Amino acid sequence: MDAKQREIADKIKKILVENLRLPEEDLTDDAKLFGDDIGLDSVDSLEIIAGIDQEFGVSMMGVDREHFQTIETLSKYVMDNLDK
Amino acid sequence: MNDRVVITGLGLICAIGSDVDECFDNALAGKVGIKEVKSVEHSGCYAHIGGENNGFVTPDGEDRASALCIKAAEEAVADSGEGVFDDPSRVGVVIGSCVGGAVSIEKFYRDYVADPDKASGEDVLKMPISAIANNVALRFGAQGAVDNVANACAAGTMSIAIAADLIRSGKADAVIAGGSDPMSSLAFSGFHALHALDDEPCRPFNKSKGIALGEGAGVLIVESYEHAKKRGAKVYCEVLGSGVSSDAHHITAPAPDGEGMQAAMERSLGNSGIKASDVDYINAHGTGTPLNDSSELGAMLRVFGDEGNVSCSTTKSMVGHCLGAAGSVEAVMCVKAIERGIVPPTAGYADGDISLMREKAGNFDFVPNKGKQRKVEYVQSNNYAFGGNNASIIYAKEDAPRKLAEPNDERVFVTGFGIVGPLGNTAEEYAANVNAGAEAKKCEECGDFVSSVGREDFDAVGIKLGFYRKLDKLSQMTCVSGKRALANAGIEVTDDNARRIGIVAGTSDGPQTEIANFQKGIIENGTEKGSAFMFPNTVYNAAPGYLSIAAGIKGYNVTLSNGAASGIAAVAFAKRALLTTQNDVILAVGADEDSETVHMLYGKIGALGKGMILGDGATTVVLERGSSADARGAKKYAEVLGSGFAHCPTEFGKYGCADKLKEAIALALAESGITEKDVSTVVTCSNGTESLGKAEEAALAGLAGAKRVNVKALCGESRAASSALSVAHAAMMLGGMIDGDAGKYVLALGASAGGSYNAVVLAKA
Repeated sequence: MDAKQREIADKIKKILVENLRLPEEDLTDDAKLFGDDIGLDSVDSLEIIAGIDQEFGVSMMGVDREHFQTIETLSKYVMDNLDK
Repeated sequence: MNDRVVITGLGLICAIGSDVDECFDNALAGKVGIKEVKSVEHSGCYAHIGGENNGFVTPDGEDRASALCIKAAEEAVADSGEGVFDDPSRVGVVIGSCVGGAVSIEKFYRDYVADPDKASGEDVLKMPISAIANNVALRFGAQGAVDNVANACAAGTMSIAIAADLIRSGKADAVIAGGSDPMSSLAFSGFHALHALDDEPCRPFNKSKGIALGEGAGVLIVESYEHAKKRGAKVYCEVLGSGVSSDAHHITAPAPDGEGMQAAMERSLGNSGIKASDVDYINAHGTGTPLNDSSELGAMLRVFGDEGNVSCSTTKSMVGHCLGAAGSVEAVMCVKAIERGIVPPTAGYADGDISLMREKAGNFDFVPNKGKQRKVEYVQSNNYAFGGNNASIIYAKEDAPRKLAEPNDERVFVTGFGIVGPLGNTAEEYAANVNAGAEAKKCEECGDFVSSVGREDFDAVGIKLGFYRKLDKLSQMTCVSGKRALANAGIEVTDDNARRIGIVAGTSDGPQTEIANFQKGIIENGTEKGSAFMFPNTVYNAAPGYLSIAAGIKGYNVTLSNGAASGIAAVAFAKRALLTTQNDVILAVGADEDSETVHMLYGKIGALGKGMILGDGATTVVLERGSSADARGAKKYAEVLGSGFAHCPTEFGKYGCADKLKEAIALALAESGITEKDVSTVVTCSNGTESLGKAEEAALAGLAGAKRVNVKALCGESRAASSALSVAHAAMMLGGMIDGDAGKYVLALGASAGGSYNAVVLAKA
């Protein structure tokens, strides 16, 4: 993860902690957000989409599920789609 | 027995009319009232439509939910003719609502965000759902059972079922029953955040792209048959049996298998003693969301088949989804369908849709676009809600054959407790602290008594992070207290008993903190930026809904809201429900939270600093039928004997007269078969407020010899949590968990600002 993606990943982590009441210590970059690790559901994904749209101006509505797997995949998608 | 319950008056206001006949005629014509929403700012949203009644202007100084309800109630009362109110103490009010004073909530926080000093206490008194039934009771002088049902979108149907139960159990002659909800930014933003709004008028079971919100109120005069006949009233139809169940699946989404919906439908048929093939018309919930429509259609096809003998429509396609009013608006449509022998349609069918529907639903009749004349003898009306709550009820033509389920005459016992509060988070800890004379936790800055729930509490009751992180404090306290109570009672929830265990929850103020945070968020960021995460927690029945999911409870599930006495009211209500429903165990829960927001709201109405100290917590009292307790060898702490309630029509926010507390006590003693001199201990309801203290002293004049206990002095005015704790404390004294000889009979009291009083008698088991 380069410095730019790191910065995005940290902002996403902050969104998850503040908007979804997740404990920061459980949020490693590769923790499976929707799997057994964290256990998010479809309502949470709407909140993530709204948070990322607000923070970065990147719309993830209708984007493939694979990009939502971890903080790493989310931050990569945001980085690749910034200013598009 | 007064088992015949009839409808003798109707009132309705919604997007397609301002009285019953206008609404029903428009519905028969398939007129759609869903258009651009005027009362909510939605320019940044993807959807812009809903069903408002723009002709109805909220009178100055009133809240829209109460005003809509009073408008419909005036029509219903006038329609019911002379003599309904001959004995006001036998007239109740039961009103369902989901968002309650949401319009006043928005106004308050708009003012508050601009300048905290500008926001007014007058608006605070209009916020809670509790205010609605109180305002209706004040308008018509009703002095019997006054309560609000807060089960979100199933509340309107439940309120009528509850009214019928009150009459059948001899607690009322007539009840003003129904539901009311306004169009609000809270609901619009919330359903928008969940992507549950359709950007075109909703087409339930057809295109199923989402809901259209509506607003309105439906009110019905539900009356005992004898009372109606004696005064020569016109009878529209009869109210037969009802069924309530829980999915225990998800806080917003219905279980895809529709099993809970099916259970509610089957129970309403079974409790009426009729078969599915007897039903002529179903008014379906039919919100228009893909998840609701597929679960509900599956359940209906399993219960009714696809031959097309029964007609089914969803009037939401014309009036929108009126949330807590939906079931009552639909009830009026059902009653009119019976009266006139014509059923309302589902709007929105285009050419070709019907052949597509054949593929998924055979010949099932959705009554497309225009009303249909047919035999209408039996009608089923169904509603489902957030929290996984399902409700179903049967209306029938006068004298239609039926065989109602008989109530049982079992004794009811307290077999367990779960207490989360400022004196600890288990019943054992509470008792130990009381026995040791320990002081409760207080918040240093605000002086309130406070509870705190943390990771260790959830670990102890087996609730995982993925679940508890979603909970607001009200839900946290409720889940821990409910799970602790099941463990304390030694009850394991299994596939076999899940549908025979229920919840009756009471709350005064509901999730006011989450509501405030959600509302402030949309005021600051726009309606389109509502939090999908927070919105599900803003409904009053979210906390017991989460408990049902965490514990796997699939039986009865009702949330009551009528001020601080809601907790003790839940106990009295749960006892009655054990006798009239197919539940062996009901968790009676009282819960209310304190927070910076709640403290500020109570400060705004001037309730603080006059001797009352706020507290918070959740108390669960496990009530169980004697046969069930005996079968599993459960410890019985106390027997619940009788209960009484009375209402003194009072401006919302003020305590009522002593006479009505005295009347509630007299009713409870009479039902228990004892007199004042038999009462050895009283758990009082005073909270430091002078007017309530005086009323209580006057009401207890004949009970001077009894020992007095007051739990609010120990851990604050925790409202519903305190009034349920009064019962728990009494049972723990009788059962020997708390020191001090309680004697044989304990009387527990509850009081609500708004004029409602409750009394419950417990006896040594």
